[in-house]
Amino acid sequence: MAYLLQQLLDVSADRHPDKPAVRARERSLTYAELHARSSQLAHLLRAQGVARGDRVGLFFPKAVESVVAMLGVLKAGAVYVPLDPHAPTRRLGAIAENCGISALVTTAERLRTLEPRALRCAVLVSGEPRAAHEIAWSALDAFPTSAPPDGGVETDLAYILYTSGSTGQPKGVMLTHRNALTFVDWCAATFAITADDRLSNHAPLHFDLSVFDIYNALGAGATVSLVHEELTVFPRRVADFIEQHGITVWYSVPSALVYLLLHADLAARDLDRLRLVLFAGEVFPMKYLQQLADLLPRAELYNLYGPTETNVCTYHHVDRWRLAGQDRLPIGRACANTEVLVLDADGRRVAPGEVGELYVRGPSVTPGYWGDAEKTRRALVPNPFQPHLDERLYRTGDLVTLDEHGELVFLGRRDNQVKSRGYRIELGDIEAALYAHPAVVEAAVVATRDEDLGSRLRAFVALKPGEDVTPASLQAHCAGLVPRYMVPETINVRDSLPKTSTGKTDRARLTAEGEV
Amino acid sequence: MDRDVRSVVRAFIATRLAPSAGRDEIADDEDLIDTGVVNSLGIFQLVAFLEQRFQIAIGDEEITPENFGTIDGIERLVASRIAARAA
Repeated sequence: MAYLLQQLLDVSADRHPDKPAVRARERSLTYAELHARSSQLAHLLRAQGVARGDRVGLFFPKAVESVVAMLGVLKAGAVYVPLDPHAPTRRLGAIAENCGISALVTTAERLRTLEPRALRCAVLVSGEPRAAHEIAWSALDAFPTSAPPDGGVETDLAYILYTSGSTGQPKGVMLTHRNALTFVDWCAATFAITADDRLSNHAPLHFDLSVFDIYNALGAGATVSLVHEELTVFPRRVADFIEQHGITVWYSVPSALVYLLLHADLAARDLDRLRLVLFAGEVFPMKYLQQLADLLPRAELYNLYGPTETNVCTYHHVDRWRLAGQDRLPIGRACANTEVLVLDADGRRVAPGEVGELYVRGPSVTPGYWGDAEKTRRALVPNPFQPHLDERLYRTGDLVTLDEHGELVFLGRRDNQVKSRGYRIELGDIEAALYAHPAVVEAAVVATRDEDLGSRLRAFVALKPGEDVTPASLQAHCAGLVPRYMVPETINVRDSLPKTSTGKTDRARLTAEGEV
Repeated sequence: MDRDVRSVVRAFIATRLAPSAGRDEIADDEDLIDTGVVNSLGIFQLVAFLEQRFQIAIGDEEITPENFGTIDGIERLVASRIAARAA
């Protein structure tokens, strides 16, 4: 049994050396090639001084080298940090600083935009090296194609995924090999992924959904086809991709499926090979789910739920015959080797039908946030039901209830976190970006509901007297600090923001205004 | 007419799409997709805007990288849809 993620590849490379393991942008690598290339990268990184536990940033658009890089870093005993290729440089710089990235796998062009202070070496998947610490991809050829021996244990970190933080600093969720394998093992058993499957990878690599696609494919000896960033803009091209690659297992945020449904003429396509359609990250609008179920009569549909901190912790098998009568799709029951608890404010279990906050325990739960003991203490709390064990529960912040079928239903958040196209967004993170503008004296961001996207972001700001700043320039300012999906769609500039009787910004009123 | 379409498209991209991608100047032949100026959200804002502003219909089959990859491409598409409307 694999206890390190890279061991999934060892087994499949042994059994299926000539099968394609990964496809992207008209290129592919067989299992033997992926194994050899990632081993060479591991040797190269070690030769450059990358040691066990060091953080290596992956900073380039999706390509077959993305998977080589992930596995190469793991084989070197190091920790990979996928960086959003479209995020603003300042935010990426903050991430690199936060976890002390000492090596990058990137392109020559992107390296010019991000040179972390602690950088010891940069391996370039494309472009020419310009300095001694820059290494061309072709340098891999000189290294052995067999992996260096594994020295690690399952509780070692495998990767760090950064998500929005409420104070304007992204927070790094640390995930161990055991965290990821707990999820992958559960998937393999539940979804019976085999070497004949073809998985897609729609989510960006810095998004936890991609863990499913990559490691389930590698574990089963299946093929994973990466949907590259430019393709996701065009729903018809994505549908062409599903047909051409013969995708059998699809996993994405609901909004990606809604776009396919609305714009890709699915009814006219041959999607019979698609046997499994999984979605997670936000609430699927019921009317669209019904349409999707009707268009894909042969596919099993599943709603997966779980914050990045737990990977996936609950799941619900969509029952076509019950859909018409459901107004909310349950998030379902706990995955294997995972326990979920619904607790009230005093830490007591609530009765079925009552509302409580969802807590999660088990080996899929993160050990915490990189370099942030305070946030870790707040999110991972002692388990009151295990007073004699130093065991932690992950506090999701999600309010849920148990329905009459024994399934959990998501009701909302207890804080200001919202979801848009599956991305977790702390409204405070965006407000911090607005406040960083010298002319802004007051800022509030609200999320209004949107059927297709989950939510839309609306900002309201008050400026210093005499300042004349346009909404577009405020958006441009935000775009320099937060990722694209967090830039408010509209920015409303006014003299002051409405207040409640207690003097707080009246968010309810602003939300109501934003809905119009 | 051509110059009008171009300046309207340029203005929409400059004020509604480019700022949230962290860009200001966009050349008419610059790749809007690679640069992230037009992403999966922006593309449908753009289509809705063009349909409304120019009273044209843009079919899903026309939402392609060729038509939406550059300002030049968008202008060609809009001009052809306007011509189709007049015909």
